[in-house]
Parts: sequence; C-alpha cells; structure tokens
Amino acid sequence: MIISEKDITEYLKQNLAEKLIEIDVPRERRIFARIRHSALRRAVELLKMRYDMLRFITLSVVDHGLDFEYLYHFHINGIVLTLRSLTPKETNTLESIADIIPAASFIEREAADLFGIKLINHPEPKALILTEDWPDDQRPLRKPLKGDLPPQARPIAEAFISKSCVAPISTFIQRRRETIGLPRSPPMAFTDEKALREFHGIMKATSFSEKAGFDWKKKQLRYK
Amino acid sequence: MTVEYASFLGCQIPLRLPSIEIASKKVFSKLGLKTVDLMGYSCCPEPVVSRLLDRTAWLATSARNLAIAEELNLNLMTLCNGCYETLVETNEILRNEPEELEKVNAILGQFGKQYNGGVEVKHVVEVLYEDVGIKKIKDSIVKPQEMRVALHYGCHMYRELNGRDIMRKPNMMKELARVTGVEIIDYGLERLCCGYPSMQADEEFSLTQRLLPKLRNIEGSGAEAVLLSCPACTLQFEMGQVRLRPYGCQYKFPCINIMEILALSFGFSPKELHLEMHRSPVMQFAQRMERS
Repeated sequence: MIISEKDITEYLKQNLAEKLIEIDVPRERRIFARIRHSALRRAVELLKMRYDMLRFITLSVVDHGLDFEYLYHFHINGIVLTLRSLTPKETNTLESIADIIPAASFIEREAADLFGIKLINHPEPKALILTEDWPDDQRPLRKPLKGDLPPQARPIAEAFISKSCVAPISTFIQRRRETIGLPRSPPMAFTDEKALREFHGIMKATSFSEKAGFDWKKKQLRYK
Repeated sequence: MTVEYASFLGCQIPLRLPSIEIASKKVFSKLGLKTVDLMGYSCCPEPVVSRLLDRTAWLATSARNLAIAEELNLNLMTLCNGCYETLVETNEILRNEPEELEKVNAILGQFGKQYNGGVEVKHVVEVLYEDVGIKKIKDSIVKPQEMRVALHYGCHMYRELNGRDIMRKPNMMKELARVTGVEIIDYGLERLCCGYPSMQADEEFSLTQRLLPKLRNIEGSGAEAVLLSCPACTLQFEMGQVRLRPYGCQYKFPCINIMEILALSFGFSPKELHLEMHRSPVMQFAQRMERS
C-alpha cells in the first residue's frame, strides 16, 4: 500500500466524520488533525488497524489556561501525524491510549505528574517522576484556571454574554426605575426571550463565549 | 417636526444613570423630536473587551442592533459616546466591506435577521444641532443655567470618518451647552481621556494619571461642575472622585449630562429629572442654582 498524506487525511475524514474538526497538511509529510477529545481513542484505534508501520513518537500537553490541549504525535511511513484535542481543565481526566499503544504509557504518566491530570484506564496509573504524595495543587507545569480577560473585564464580559448588557441588572435598580416613573427594565434583549435567544446564538456562533471562557450551564465565566 | 429616530439607550444610561433617560425624553418631547425605543437591543457592544476578543462577534452583535433599526426603517440615535463609536464604526465596515457584511449576515440569517447597510447612526448632539437646530433649542429655553462648567467631551466624541474635522461634534456640544446659559471654562485638558477604559487594566493608572490631572485643572480653573455627554465618562468622574479619596484627594464636582442641562434650562425641575440618581452632588447643585 502506498501511504500518502492524502490517504491518511481521507481515511480519517471518512471514519471520524464530524468528530474530525479540522485536518491540515501544512507541508509535505506533515499532518495536523484536530479532533474531538471524545474521539481520541477511536482515532488511535483506526490508525493502528490500517497502518502496520504506525509508530508512536510522543505526547505533548499544553496548558492554555482554561483548557488542556493534548497532541499525540505519530509516525507513519515517513509522515508525521499529530492528533490534537482540547478538553476543559475542569474535567481534568485523560483517557489513556496505553492499552492500544503501550509506548504511550510513560509519557502519559509523566504528563499526569507534571500537570496533575487523572489518567483513566491506564494500565499502571502511578507517579513516574514525582513522588506519590506530591500535592495536587502544586504541579510544576500546571497554570491556574484562567482565561484571557483581565480581572476587571471579567464581570463586564460575563454580564454581556449572559444578559446582553454590560451594566449590572439588579432588583434594586429595577425598583428605582419604577419609582422614578420609568419601565422596570429598558427594552433590552434580556427582557425578551426571543431577542435573548438571538443574542446568545450570536455569542455561540462566533465562539465569543468560548473565547471568553463562558460556561453556558452555570451562566458564568469559568474563572473569577 | 417629522424627524424620527430609533433611540439607542445603551446599557449604562438606563441601568446606572436613568436620570439621563428621563431628561432625554423630556428634551425630545419639548423639541417635538419623535423617537422610539429600540426593542430587544443588546449592548452596542462595548468597544473595548468585545472588539479585542472577537471582531466578528463585535460586528455581528452591532449589526443585529442596526438590523432592528433597519426593520423599523429608522435611523439610529445614540445617547452614549461609546455606543456611538461602535455603531458608527461597525456600520462603516459593514457598508464598505461586502465580505464582512456577508459573513455577518450568514450569522444573523440563522436567527431570521439581515442587515443591508441602510441605517445612519447619529450621536444625540448631532441630532440636536443638525436636525433640530440651535435656534429652536434657544427658543425653548426658559431658565438659563448660570453656572460655570468644565466640558468633558469624551474621547469617542472626537471620532470622525476619515477627512472630517474631529472637533465637529465637540463644537456642536459646546454650542448646545452655551445656548443653555452656562459659562464654559477652559481648563486645558479637555482632550485627555477620563480613564474609564484603562480602569479595566490598571485602576491606579486610570485614576491618578488620567482622572486626577483633569480634576486638578478643573478645580484650578474655577469651574463649579463638569458637563459631559458620555455616561461611561460620567461614571468615571463620579465614582473616580470617591475612589481617589484614599489617595488624599477630595473632589466633589457635580457631573451633569448635556441632556440634563438642556432639560433644566427648558424649565424642568431637578426633582422631576430625578437628579438624585447621580453619584455626585448634581441634585444639590442644581437645586442651589434653582434658588439663586
């Protein structure tokens, strides 16, 4: 079988479908595939099934502040393929691929030590380079859970995304508006379900809320 | 008068400085300027955080507001300098960059909305000066305001399309202020930012390197009050005077909005305008002026 960049990209596209977010071939013999984190093991299984000469190079972990990015690097007949996936730091777990690719065992344990990540289904989930009693809150490469917004801008962004309005909407001010003869609230999107749905749709469609680090379930930023 | 506008209140006026909303409605009514509130609008969006974080979201949110005005077949009038800058700037981009308009409409289209670039955005100062006219305003004045004021125009007031005079709107505001009878005192730092945007990055810098020099000069000039058009600047002046106390600075300048001074000069009382909503002694000052 002739293995080319095209062969690998087409194979991943066909088999991962919507779990494959983006695939890029920036130059000859180099492929970056951005996949959903939930599809990581499936992607590795697919590669192992098809390519006998699949060789695991290493794992890189990047702490982006709000999310961990996992980059599993593979070598397939002269082509380097990186599977990239992103997961919220609050989840803090990585499902191991060491049962599929035993060579990943050590580096996953090292990453777990340095970033304080909990490994799931790892055949030997023990500390590798730190002591077993190393404190969880003092992992050498782990950054605090923090997004791009400076502290003073966080309440503004939070109010903007959740309520469509950057000023605080308190019962106190709404009552005061009524006492001075104004409607309880101005006719802003937060007073109208349909308008607010539209506004939230824009926040999601443009990934604004994602960039700000907004948690839609809790309706607040993921960091204070 | 047949001129009609969709009035864009923004966030800060209705929820933090509602006396400006009251004054504006009274001024428009007195001048026969027809306005309708923009229903279901969102933050313009504010020009610092949103634009820096995601330009497309900034454009799309603004385009949604413009689209609501376009559905009404009305031009948009803003009472806030920040809203003015955002809406004018995004409107220009959407009108002149078809690929951006297409991208934004693809997002708005998901919610049954579309913007076609058919809305003009004006600051209330432009509307009063250009559409209503100084003469009509002068004719409506029954109680000239004899006070010495320092003008703070606000940075966004200077924003103009390329090639236009940046003093165009500040001069309009000056004219509008003058017609109410106030004495305008020059203090030399009119162009300096009040520090509101930098509060989000460095509070001490904002207070001591932006607001404080202005307040010192205003005090030295003999002005009794600060006259502003921007709610964000008003909040910075009002809250900043309080926040400067730990630095050993005691300033208590009343911070009055241009719409409020117009309403006072039209004969509305400080109580009717609910000037007590301010965080600086505007009510006390206006009542004292009323008695004198």
